[in-house]
Amino acid sequence: MDKTPYRRFRNVVNLPLVVWTIALLIYGTIMVSSATTGMSSGMLRRQLIGIALGLVPLGAAWLLDYKLLKHWTGPLLVALSILLISPRIPGLGYEVGGATSWLQVFGVRLFQPSEPAKLIFIAVMAAAVADFKGRIDKPRDVIRVLSYVALALVLILLQPDLGTGLVFVAIAGGMLLVGGLKARWFLVLGLAAALALGGVVLVDSALDNMAGSDVALKDYQKDRLLVFIDNTRAPQGAGYNLAQSKIAIGSGGISGKGLAAGTQSNLHFLPERHTDFIFAVLGEELGFTGALMLLGLYLALLMSALAIATSSRDLYGALICAGIISMWAFQILENIGMTIGMMPITGIPLPFMSFGSSAMVTNLGAVGMLLSVWSRRYGT
Amino acid sequence: MSTYREDLKSRFAALGLVVIVMLAVLLVRLWTMQVLSGESYAAQAENNRVREISLDAPRGSIYDRNGVPLVVNRAALAVSVDPSEDTVRLLLIRSQNEDTDDDPTKREIEERFGALSELLGMTSSEVWAKVSDVRVEALRPRVVAVDVPIGIVSQLAERQTEFPGIEVDEIAVREYPQGQLAAHLLGYTGEISEEQLAGSDKNAGYEFGEIVGKTGVEAQYENVLQGDKGWRRIEVNASGKAQRVVNEQPPVPGRSVKLSIDIEVQRVAEKALADAITEAHRQDFPNAKAGAAVVLDVKTGEVIAMASAPTYDPSIFLGPISTVTWEKLTDKASEYPLNNRVIMAAYPPASTFKAVTGLAGLEYGVTYENKTYTCKGKWTEMGEQWPKWCWKHTGHGTISFRTGVAQSCDVVFYEIGYEFYKRKKEELQTMARSFGFGAKLGIDLSGEVKGRVPDAAWKSEFNADYPEYQMWLPGDTVNMAIGQGDLLASPLQMAAAYGAIGNGGTVMTPHVMLEILPGIGEDGKTYEPTVAAKADVSETSLAVMKRALVDVTTKGTALAVFRGFDVTVAGKTGTAQVAGKDDYAWFTAFAPASDPQYAVAVVVEEGGHGGSVAGPAARQILAQLFGLKVEQVHATDESR
Repeated sequence: MDKTPYRRFRNVVNLPLVVWTIALLIYGTIMVSSATTGMSSGMLRRQLIGIALGLVPLGAAWLLDYKLLKHWTGPLLVALSILLISPRIPGLGYEVGGATSWLQVFGVRLFQPSEPAKLIFIAVMAAAVADFKGRIDKPRDVIRVLSYVALALVLILLQPDLGTGLVFVAIAGGMLLVGGLKARWFLVLGLAAALALGGVVLVDSALDNMAGSDVALKDYQKDRLLVFIDNTRAPQGAGYNLAQSKIAIGSGGISGKGLAAGTQSNLHFLPERHTDFIFAVLGEELGFTGALMLLGLYLALLMSALAIATSSRDLYGALICAGIISMWAFQILENIGMTIGMMPITGIPLPFMSFGSSAMVTNLGAVGMLLSVWSRRYGT
Repeated sequence: MSTYREDLKSRFAALGLVVIVMLAVLLVRLWTMQVLSGESYAAQAENNRVREISLDAPRGSIYDRNGVPLVVNRAALAVSVDPSEDTVRLLLIRSQNEDTDDDPTKREIEERFGALSELLGMTSSEVWAKVSDVRVEALRPRVVAVDVPIGIVSQLAERQTEFPGIEVDEIAVREYPQGQLAAHLLGYTGEISEEQLAGSDKNAGYEFGEIVGKTGVEAQYENVLQGDKGWRRIEVNASGKAQRVVNEQPPVPGRSVKLSIDIEVQRVAEKALADAITEAHRQDFPNAKAGAAVVLDVKTGEVIAMASAPTYDPSIFLGPISTVTWEKLTDKASEYPLNNRVIMAAYPPASTFKAVTGLAGLEYGVTYENKTYTCKGKWTEMGEQWPKWCWKHTGHGTISFRTGVAQSCDVVFYEIGYEFYKRKKEELQTMARSFGFGAKLGIDLSGEVKGRVPDAAWKSEFNADYPEYQMWLPGDTVNMAIGQGDLLASPLQMAAAYGAIGNGGTVMTPHVMLEILPGIGEDGKTYEPTVAAKADVSETSLAVMKRALVDVTTKGTALAVFRGFDVTVAGKTGTAQVAGKDDYAWFTAFAPASDPQYAVAVVVEEGGHGGSVAGPAARQILAQLFGLKVEQVHATDESR
């Protein structure tokens, strides 16, 4: 054991992860403050409160030995189910944009349960996958692992929150990759998912016709998917958001229009500009330079998380890291991708950038989990 | 243990690679959007942000030659709906998206516009039709009613909160201080038609709903009167709500036009024409309904008055015009009141043309002032089987050429015409053309007709399908000599020709614009008279004809009309025969005979005889021109 204070510090603190996280938090705060110019003055404060709140789970997860989680699969599954079902309980749900994804008590909106559910899902999956010791090939094993994914997906699609469902799929994908699912299973599962998605759209249209109302998949969700395929479909509807977002980003050029000087954003052409479309504000106001900087920060963050993952003394810790990396990576791809027309439009926030405390608290909690894995890499 | 550690490393490498590839893909896409296509997106953003609305220029006024206003602008209160008001905007978005199921329902429209439409005395669907017209610029307030009574406007103001998004603006509309006077000449304005819009000069910047000149001077001098539109660039937010004015260019008002018309003469001309029609009815020509009168300055071609009956009220075109009204205005039964008969109608000029035939006879040596003819009433020179009659069936006996003109003796002109036929040189046609017949004179009004000077070539072509009618016959020239047959002339052509006889043989181009008044940054323009045709006649021949035409009003067919008239008038009566109709009454003249200033032509369709119906009208007009007492005289005339 190293005895110098610096070494001791390095034992518990992964400096790169902390530095990049702080850099992203600062960047995000600047962007939110720019995007909320002209809105009620409390927005920036609310964002800072979100960060402060996030320090609690960060610290708790850091202090907590992650290995303990491995034995709590049962209670965690119950917690996961409660979180995902809660918005559907009459009186507790609050509908935003067609999905009942908010929890409210006595009319006070609390948080989006699907956000912390992501971390619980990662812990549950890590325990399930780690059991197979790095090799998942038997159909029975595959089915067992997938049953956790299926449970989470069914619950989340009840809300229905397509975007978060996709995040769960991505998390599972990354963890299965690291957990040793054989390549041919990825192929099979990928094909099945594609077919299922296509089938759902077709069947849903048929169902809507038969029922004469909007059943199963909501029309706005179908619209978003179809707009992604053909974005000229409804310029005033779902396609409008995408068109305005692309105009915002494209018009930013190399160096952008300057903070709070984006016309697309300040004149309200951009929808959800401080939340889901915060990247469009960044692209417009800071241009390609700003976008390059953000992607650089994300790369650094993910690489430091990857370093922590490889340092883990056990497979369980490595899988937790893989889940978090996959979660962030997918959310970055999906969120930025949707603003530039590469991905369908969903309500997935951009990690550390989008306004919103539920996601902020969850992401800082994830940082805490990474630090927990890091600080225990040499075992006890 | 170590094997799966190794596996884990490669799997993490794979995960890292996925992350890097993913970020790289995003970066490449951002590079193409922001760096390579940045400018195109920037233009789109600008387009998003800035809306341009045009600012209408006030239309120029129209004055008479003495500066009396004929058409001016008047402020009218217009009620419009702001398309960017939230509820209106939502309805508009729904009506404009592809999904027709989503269109606003009747009920929603009634809910939104019911109260307003009730106040305006319209239906809510009429209001909605104006609001939802996609051809109007997006941000332009939709004018739903013009000339709204002040009572209703004050109600709108008092109950402002009940009428969100409703604006009352003052807009300029045309006003006609002289009422219906000179309606045909001035023309009317109206919303630009889709064809006009499609055919308009793109630089002129015409837009849907724009008020433009449709006929008459309003149409002819459209580009002068219209002015240049200004624009205002407004920054809007995503709701289309204006945030601030980026910049603007004020409109340049249209220039005003001063016409050659003397509105007092015009007033008398229109009254005289109406009196003539009444007089025709009194003389038992009940079908008389229409007619025309025109006064030209013989030296310059300036149009002093231009009247056409029946007429219409140009102010009915200010608002929306009902189908019933429009049909009535364009119906044959109401004698096409929109037509300006002075330039658009071509009639057989009848005996008024004898002046031209006479000049041809004098000029080409076929006749001379005192050459004598014998009129027995019946004329059989072309053969017993082709008899022709003088209007005076009992005959004029022995009669000179000069008296033949004064008495309008047909036989004299049959003889002249027959002589021209025998000479086979179509000299009569040559003379007619040199007086401007058979061609447009080039007046600055649209719709002018050419009339017709028939000749052998024309006849053979006109009857291309009927070989038996192609040959030019003696009767064709003989009929033409008395202004009948296939000869057609407009009242304008007759007046211009008499003006030429009066001024020494020059057919001046008739013109209604005297001066374009200077505008802001634009110079004015004064009209310089131009020559339309040079009559092929000598001073001597003209002098003979002038004497003969004075005889008409002092001892001939118009003696009764001009009895006691203090100015010597050189004129000619005419009574045109038109198949299946009552005779058309004509009178053409110039005066004073000694130093001609004005030429006048009057025609009354199915009005009977020139001397008894058209002549008295001409007398009233001439009286006004020379400051004499304007009075209606009653005269009788049997000639043609």
